[in-house]
Amino acid sequence: MMSTIMWTIAIIAGLGLVLAIVLYFIAEKFKVEEDPRIDDVEKTMPGANCGGCGFAGCRAFSEAAVKAPNLDNIYCPVGGNDVMKKVAAILGHEVKAKTPMVAVLRCNGTCEVRPKTNEYGGYSSCRVMANLYTGDTGCVFGCLGCGDCVSACKFGALSLDPVTGLPVIDEEKCTACGACVSTCPKNLIELRNKGPRGMRMVVECRNQDKGPAAKKACANACIGCGICVKTCRHDAITLENNIAYIDFNKCKLCRECEAMCPAGAIHGINFPKPLDKAAVKARIAERNRKEKEAAAAAKAAEDAVAVPADALAAKPAAKPAEVPKVEVEVKMEEAPKQSK
Amino acid sequence: MNKLLVSPAPHHHSPNSTKSLMRDVVVALIPAIVVSVVYYGWAELLLLAVSVVSCVGLEYLITRFFLKRPSTVGDYSAVITGLLLALNLPVTTPWWVVFIGTVVAIGVAKMTFGGIGQNIFNPAIAGRVFLLISFPTYMTDWTRPASIASAWGCGATDAVTGATSLGAVKEGLMTGASLTDISAYADFSYLDRLFVGMGGSVGELSAIALLFGFGYLLARKVIRPHITLSIWATVAVFSGILWLVDPAQFTDPLFNLLTGGMLLGSIFMATDYVTSPMSDWGCIIYGIGIGLITMVIRYFGAYPEGMSFAILIMNSVVPLINIAFHHKKYGRK
Amino acid sequence: MLKTFSIGGVHPDDCKISKDCKIEVLPLPKTVYISMAQHLGAPATPIVKAGDHVKAGQVIAEPAGFISAFVHSSVSGTVKKIAPRQDLAGRNVMHIEIEVEGDEWMEGIDLSDTLVTEIPSDNKVILDKIKANGVVGLGGATFPTHVKLCPPPGKKADCLILNGAECEPYLTSDYRIMLERSKEIVVGAAIMKQVLGGCPAVIGIEENKPEAIKKMQQALAELQASAKGYEGISVQVLKKKYPQGGEKQLIDAVMGRQVKSMALPIDAGAVVQNVATSLAVYEAVQKNKPLVTNVLTVTGNTLPVEKQHNYLFRIGMPLSYIAEYAGGVPEDAAKIISGGPMMGKAIANLDATTVKGSSSLLYFTREMTQRNQESACIRCGKCSEACPMGLEPFLLQRYARNGMMDELEKNAVQDCIECGCCLYSCPANIPLLDIIRIAKGDVTRIIRSRAPKK
Repeated sequence: MMSTIMWTIAIIAGLGLVLAIVLYFIAEKFKVEEDPRIDDVEKTMPGANCGGCGFAGCRAFSEAAVKAPNLDNIYCPVGGNDVMKKVAAILGHEVKAKTPMVAVLRCNGTCEVRPKTNEYGGYSSCRVMANLYTGDTGCVFGCLGCGDCVSACKFGALSLDPVTGLPVIDEEKCTACGACVSTCPKNLIELRNKGPRGMRMVVECRNQDKGPAAKKACANACIGCGICVKTCRHDAITLENNIAYIDFNKCKLCRECEAMCPAGAIHGINFPKPLDKAAVKARIAERNRKEKEAAAAAKAAEDAVAVPADALAAKPAAKPAEVPKVEVEVKMEEAPKQSK
Repeated sequence: MNKLLVSPAPHHHSPNSTKSLMRDVVVALIPAIVVSVVYYGWAELLLLAVSVVSCVGLEYLITRFFLKRPSTVGDYSAVITGLLLALNLPVTTPWWVVFIGTVVAIGVAKMTFGGIGQNIFNPAIAGRVFLLISFPTYMTDWTRPASIASAWGCGATDAVTGATSLGAVKEGLMTGASLTDISAYADFSYLDRLFVGMGGSVGELSAIALLFGFGYLLARKVIRPHITLSIWATVAVFSGILWLVDPAQFTDPLFNLLTGGMLLGSIFMATDYVTSPMSDWGCIIYGIGIGLITMVIRYFGAYPEGMSFAILIMNSVVPLINIAFHHKKYGRK
Repeated sequence: MLKTFSIGGVHPDDCKISKDCKIEVLPLPKTVYISMAQHLGAPATPIVKAGDHVKAGQVIAEPAGFISAFVHSSVSGTVKKIAPRQDLAGRNVMHIEIEVEGDEWMEGIDLSDTLVTEIPSDNKVILDKIKANGVVGLGGATFPTHVKLCPPPGKKADCLILNGAECEPYLTSDYRIMLERSKEIVVGAAIMKQVLGGCPAVIGIEENKPEAIKKMQQALAELQASAKGYEGISVQVLKKKYPQGGEKQLIDAVMGRQVKSMALPIDAGAVVQNVATSLAVYEAVQKNKPLVTNVLTVTGNTLPVEKQHNYLFRIGMPLSYIAEYAGGVPEDAAKIISGGPMMGKAIANLDATTVKGSSSLLYFTREMTQRNQESACIRCGKCSEACPMGLEPFLLQRYARNGMMDELEKNAVQDCIECGCCLYSCPANIPLLDIIRIAKGDVTRIIRSRAPKK
């Protein structure tokens, strides 16, 4: 009895020893030399494997980061500056802080303002739908509402609003990985600077049709009138293919374009107070009047003797803006007529 | 004008639906059910009712309250599981045993894998095998009514006990008797077996009724013949060779094709969509596997019948078969 | 034993309700809008400007690339404007708007019915005429015909196959021209055969059109007896099975050869042309008439027979005009399809105009065409049984939903011909083709982007 137990223990122990030695040699033979910093970097990663950085996953990102001479082109949008600082510390590199970004939808064609012109009966996927035709509303450029972006988001930041039929982006959850941007067949989602306290200005439309056609398809459409371009005093707005675009790097969040937009296509997001359109309009009108007066005064002064130095210093931007400003007022009256 | 409907092509759909295909399987089972009900009477009706009701009910409850999904009972798949399970049991099975079988079939074999289309094992067979292992006494009690009249409760209420043909053969051979000795006391008549055979599970009564079902399924293009025919061919060839070698030890091919769960299994259970391979060659390999395993169990195993085990074993190999065998593609070797 | 293709296929009800409706000529509308994208490849470049007066048959746009085609005016009148206009799918495409004035044709176009059986001996002349008259394949893909008739160097056509299968349910335009213009079709076949170097020509017709088979055989016999250049042409009766008229399937059915993956039919020694294309070739070569007319079927599953038509239309007619002329869109029509029910395009915009390849205006009721709720795959294998390319749609859609591009390529998603058999036969109503079509596009793009690197 006793010997049986002893034998059993001895055999098992011997077997374990032999196998351990075999395993040790195998492990030595097939050992892959790896930079230990890769593991360290990977530990700091968010671990979402979303591919927002342009690499296959967090592991691939870490490998690339360790190999790279500097971190200029390597950035984890999900982890943001905090994670990048840690990575830089591990690797002994410098890292420049990047402004946090957020996904923004550039379509405001809700069910209410953009009536359906036909009924889509195929597989509910924006890509399938866009591949087939231009969509079930009059707007060729607008959101198809099948929610491909929602399923592309690995962070649960997007959801479809059943009332508007449009995706809603949860800024808290959005990591700006860009998955939705590349998924949207209509290119409606853009990564933009989050802005101070999340405040930012967006033209919520991509309709490149001419004014009346765009307006017919969707009441919220940008009609490409260009008033915003002329209103903007920071050169932030450009108009191309009948569509306005706000450069978020130049925008100073003055909200004047929003107040002036006759189509209601420009929206300020996350501003603490609702926009008092009348006040802003009055402000602009007042400024325009003053500018005109100043210009007239300057002209008069120029005619008289020479340019007084203080008049120029007071309004440095007035000179180039002189001519278009007059046009703005003309256009302002025209535009609402167009939209009727 | 109404808003036009727009969708990608095709704009037309065949009349087939999951429901219609499953309904066709139920229709194909009707001859076998009718024969068994006529022959076994009230007990059989009760057996069928318990099995079907509890299968459908369980599926409904599980989808509704467990998985919180729209219920899938409308597609008849639970009805088929219920019918097949009932047809695979002896008529004397107590109702609570049947109920346990349905719990295993629907609850364990089907729903835990994710419901219809996801299960690896045929639910009815899984239920049956569970019962066979857990309740061997009930599952091998081949008591049956002495006559149709007694089955329906009129006249003498006699019952006859007796082993199935396969059981008789297995027992006989174990005691060292030869097949000729066994055939002296066990009835081996092929004609009987073709119409209303001997004992066994209730669905195995009549070969003709099952073959009718097979014909219907083929005519309606519900199933393709690959699996069934390859099972039959394998059984015939395998048993044929051994029978020729030693007719005293090994039963003949026709006996093997017509007895036990061979027909019911090969026509209705092995051909289950979800648990059978996709490609033609995959189906043939699967059929050969079932045939071989069945015969090995019948000839050399401890159980007299091996159809259920064979199907279960081959079910587990199906994912591998699907990886190994693909359809023949156009313009490729 | 009738010939047919060897893999897969489905048998939808053929429903050729309008098969006994003779071809009627549609009267001219007030305005036509001629699309610049009527063919595969680059859209044509307009060469007229607003205010120009054009005659029917006059070139109004030139090809803008190797795979492109001439576009001719289908009417005489004044060019109003050249502007984008929405096509069937709502996409903006350049259209030339012409206000119709009278019906004056260009000189040198023979509009008579006389049959010209003498085939020009110079192949270059023939090809130039086919190109100059803007002939494109009318079987669906609208591939420029002259390109298809010039095999690349080193490749030779062993057989010209004329596609008269018309395997799509409901459509009868090919059937009607085979009945009414049978001799012209045979002459067209003889012309193409000569251009391809005198290979045999086979006219494949499905068994469900016995009259067309008889008519074509008769026409063939008469022409072979009376003129030269018609030997080596034959009629091949094919079994009724969809998609018999698919190029690859037809080659398999008629020649018993299979085109390799990602290869062209010519690599298997075959050139396939539709019977309607053959008719267009005849008119272009023998009559010098550009491709500005074609036959279109107006049909529907609940449309009474007397309201069903086969029309000879001019390109650029708005579909709404044709629908109106045929008696209006029926009340119960929920979907209007241009093309057959299996591969046609659902029309989102009835103001779109007819193009060279338009073949039908098909009205379907909601019950007929609405997709049912998708349910779980029951792994029945009906889709792979039906796939004429031997693919496994159930597998492909699963890979596609998970974005597994390597697996998709390994399982030959790029071979899909988008025939719709899988979706047609799926009992669980899984939108197989919708998903696979997108995956096919992605994989094909990956394969193409990889090609130059080799």
